[in-house]
Amino acid sequence: MFEYFNQPEVIKTIVTIGSMALFFVGLFGLLTQKHIIKIFISIAIMEVSLFLLFIGLMYEQSFLAPILQNPDANFTNMNDPIPHAMILTAIVIGMAVLALGVSFAIEYYKLTGKTNIDEMNEMRH
Amino acid sequence: MSFKRDVPTSTMSGFALSAVLVLTFLNILLQNIPSKINTAGDALLQLNASQGVANAVTTVVVYFRGFDTLGEIAVLFIAALGIGLMLSKNKHCDIKAESNFMLQTASRLLFPIIMLFGIYVMVYGHLSPGGGFQGGVIVASAVLLLLISHKDFEVPHSVIVMLETFAGVSYVLIGLIGLLVLDKFLGNFLPNDISNMGLLMSGGIIPIIYIIVGIKVGSEMSIIVQNLLKRSENV
Amino acid sequence: MIGFIILVTFIGIITIAFASIIQTKLSDAIILFMGVGLGTVVLFFIFKAPDVALTEAVIGAGISSLIFLMALKHLGEKA
Repeated sequence: MFEYFNQPEVIKTIVTIGSMALFFVGLFGLLTQKHIIKIFISIAIMEVSLFLLFIGLMYEQSFLAPILQNPDANFTNMNDPIPHAMILTAIVIGMAVLALGVSFAIEYYKLTGKTNIDEMNEMRH
Repeated sequence: MSFKRDVPTSTMSGFALSAVLVLTFLNILLQNIPSKINTAGDALLQLNASQGVANAVTTVVVYFRGFDTLGEIAVLFIAALGIGLMLSKNKHCDIKAESNFMLQTASRLLFPIIMLFGIYVMVYGHLSPGGGFQGGVIVASAVLLLLISHKDFEVPHSVIVMLETFAGVSYVLIGLIGLLVLDKFLGNFLPNDISNMGLLMSGGIIPIIYIIVGIKVGSEMSIIVQNLLKRSENV
Repeated sequence: MIGFIILVTFIGIITIAFASIIQTKLSDAIILFMGVGLGTVVLFFIFKAPDVALTEAVIGAGISSLIFLMALKHLGEKA
C-alpha cells in the first residue's frame, strides 16, 4: 500500500490539495475572528501555505539538493534553485510586514484600549 | 468553541463559492502537469559553474538576482524605521525584578557561542546551506538572550547606527565599482575561477556581499527586538 | 514510503492550524502557531531544500513567534 503513495502524480496531488486546504483554514480565520492578533496569525498561516505549494510542486524523488560536494562533479539532476531564492525573499518580507502590523496594534491598544475589531469605529461617523 | 458566533450568510456563501472555484481550477491544473519540466533553473545551474561557487542558491540570490536582494534590504530598513517611529516613546525596560542567578550565569556562557555560530553561518554561506539572512537573525537572537536576562543592558545606539550605515553604503559602492570595471552593475570583478570551488576564498565578491547583507540584517533585527521589549513611562 | 510521510505531515499541519485559530486564550494560539512552523520545516527538509528550511526555522518559528509573544505581553490574555 505504501508504494501507491510514491508515484509523482499522487505526490503532486497531495501537495496541491494540502496547501490549498491550509490556505482556506487561514481564510476562514481571517473572516470570522474578532481579535486583532488572531487576524495576524491567520495572515501568517496563509503565507506559509503558499511557500509549501511553491517548493512542493518542484519535487521529484531522484533530485539532489543544489549544493556540490566535490569540485569535479557537475550540476545535473539537481533541484531548481530559482524558487528557493524567491521563497527566501518572501519569507523575510512577510516577517517584516507582520512586525510593523503588530507594532501598530500595540500602539492603538495603548491609546484607546480596544482589541475587538467591531469596536474600532472612530472613522465611522 | 469560540467560532460559533453570528457570522453573516453572505460571508459563508462567498467563502464556499471561492472554494468551489479554486477546486475547479486546481482540477484543470493537475491534469496537465508534465512529468519533467524544462525551466530556466537548468540553464542557471549550468551557468553557475562559471562563478565557481558551490551553493547554487547563493549564486542566484547574490549574483544573478542581486538587485532584488538590494530591494529586500530596503524593505527591511523601512519596516525597522516604522517600528522605531511608533514605539520610540517607551523609555523604561519592562523587567521589574532582578532575574534568577542561574539565568544570568548561563546567558553569559551561551552568548558568545550563539554569536559565533551566527557568524559561522554568515561567513560560510557559499559553501553550505546558510547565508546572510539566516546568520543575521541568529546574531539578533543572541542579543535578545542578553536583553532578557540582564535588567539594565541596552544595545549601544551609536555602534548599531554606524554598522548599519556602513553595510548599506558599501553594498551600493561595490555595485558601482563593478559598473566602473566591468560595465555591469554588481558585476564580479574579483578572481572567481572554477578551480577554487569548495575553498573559503572563492567566488569573487559573492561571500563579501553576503557578509554585508548579514551585518545589516543582524543590526536591524536587534533594533526591532529592543524596541518591542520596552514599555512606556506612565503604564 | 515518502508519499505516506508527506500525507501524514500535511494532515498534522492542517489540524494544528485549525486548532490555533479557534482557541479562546491568546497564549495557546501562539504556541500552536509555532507548531505549524515546525511542521513546515520538516516538510521543507523532505522536499530537499536546505536553505529554505533553515530560513523558515530561524524566522518563522523564531522571530515571527517572538513578535506575537511581545504582543501578548502588551495586550493581555484575551481580556
